[in-house]
Amino acid sequence: MNIEHFLTNANPSWMRNEDDSDIVISTRIRLARNIARTRFPNSFTEEEAQGIEDELMNALFSHEKNPYHFSHFPIKDLPQLQRQILVEKHLISPNLANRKKIGSVFLTEDESFSIMVNEEDHIRIQCLACGMHIEDAFEKARKIDRYLSQHITYAYQERFGYLTSCPTNVGTGLRASVMLHLPALTFTKQMNALIQMMTRLGMVVRGIYGEGSENLGSVYQISNQITLGKSELDILQELRDVVEQVIKKEQSARKALLIRAPSTLEDRLSRSLGTLKYAKILSSEEAASCLSNIRLGVSLGLLEPISQSRLNECMLLIQPGFIQQYVGTTLQPAERDMYRAKLLQDKLRQQDESFNNGEKGEDSI
Amino acid sequence: MICGHCKQRPANVTVTQIQNEQKVERHYCEICAAQFHPFQFEASNEPVSIHQFISNWLNFLPASTTKEIKQATEKKTTNCPTCGLTYRQFLKQGKFGCENCYETFSGQLPQLLERIQAGTKHVGFKEQTISIEKIKYQIETLREQLQRAILAEHFEDAAKFRDEIRLLESKVNLGGEEQS
Ligand SMILES: [Zn+2]
Ligand SMILES: [Zn+2]
Repeated sequence: MNIEHFLTNANPSWMRNEDDSDIVISTRIRLARNIARTRFPNSFTEEEAQGIEDELMNALFSHEKNPYHFSHFPIKDLPQLQRQILVEKHLISPNLANRKKIGSVFLTEDESFSIMVNEEDHIRIQCLACGMHIEDAFEKARKIDRYLSQHITYAYQERFGYLTSCPTNVGTGLRASVMLHLPALTFTKQMNALIQMMTRLGMVVRGIYGEGSENLGSVYQISNQITLGKSELDILQELRDVVEQVIKKEQSARKALLIRAPSTLEDRLSRSLGTLKYAKILSSEEAASCLSNIRLGVSLGLLEPISQSRLNECMLLIQPGFIQQYVGTTLQPAERDMYRAKLLQDKLRQQDESFNNGEKGEDSI
Repeated sequence: MICGHCKQRPANVTVTQIQNEQKVERHYCEICAAQFHPFQFEASNEPVSIHQFISNWLNFLPASTTKEIKQATEKKTTNCPTCGLTYRQFLKQGKFGCENCYETFSGQLPQLLERIQAGTKHVGFKEQTISIEKIKYQIETLREQLQRAILAEHFEDAAKFRDEIRLLESKVNLGGEEQS
């Protein structure tokens, strides 16, 4: 598979949202693994790094019974913009994108699996799924993990489990996250208290557009903090419990908003749609916030329906890397704001057309 | 008998030192005896047991000696032999240099892990079961090689593969027993 495939596709399967859940956007599972008897990426030599790359290539390409079809991309071969797009799509981490030493990524065509090599750990297996499919995504990641462990000897110890570069990943090496859209909890200023409560429960809450972007577009990512002293299944169950609680809180906050200030809410959400349809300049903050309002409006039935996957696609497209990819050239921030506005209008028009043609939206099959 | 050092307290510890290849016996009180450096000693007059003496000696060591010993042991335990990381460097960067760091710093790790994790022991999936799968896979590959060697009449190679298969099979059996 050519890198172009991964760069141009703004509607990967894991963002398609078949179950049309309007609060949970996606689930991500990550397993951190290292190869036995080889120093970790922060202290290994170039030769050791290359050896790891070769071992992974061998495990993923040269076995007849390999059930996976990965494409392999060494990071140093990718220009900065391409790396940025892979980061914006959550297929690689910013850490890997900025890496000076040898590193690479293996991707499946549908982008639901990615394996990062020589990031903070030798191997990071990632599985992405739309909606809330925690156990399902974990099983899939585990399957790759088992497959790899047949060809690679992991750094593992009875006492500490899977050994990782950072003590915050040791044990299971498992980080499970759920991406949630929580506009009503954000409007009603309940997020701070909720984040504090989740921290006490051993969960981490982060914004999706990277650290420090906590309430950009009211999309949050909740993940487990603990990886040692708890089993994989307990970790997943606890995350599920917390997420289900948060969903209930968001639902009741939405109801409260509808009851207490229906016209203010409808005005606010409709204005956002107007902005996206007619604005000529859009910063990423404004675009994210408008998209969030539209998503809420559609979900509450206050706005004309737009498919979840179209909204997810827009969420990806407003990021700087994607805009430059779309335009086909590098842009100054001010130019990006102009193209961002244009791009979103194109996408929303496409949506309208597919509705007018009597289709329910091209990708909600 | 009075302590040969302070000349105040009764001497109930007999210390035998070797000086210029000459055995010299000295008699000290517990407190003074505890302040001296490693030496050969014999406890006399029973009131002080050897264990007590040693623990006294450790407790009463002059501060400078304690520091030296501490530094010496620190040097010995906190430099990872595989990647060279010290515990101090680890605390600074928050990342280990290799899997052996876990072994090297196993003394200090529990306190750290207690603060950031739910426990200090792995309770999740065990890699052991997977290792068996892996050995089985290796056996499978070796069998194919064995077949090919026999067909090609490379009997020396074949014998080598056969021995390797036997060795791996015994490992699988052992692992299986450990698990059941
Ligand atoms: Zn004395
Ligand atoms: Zn080390």
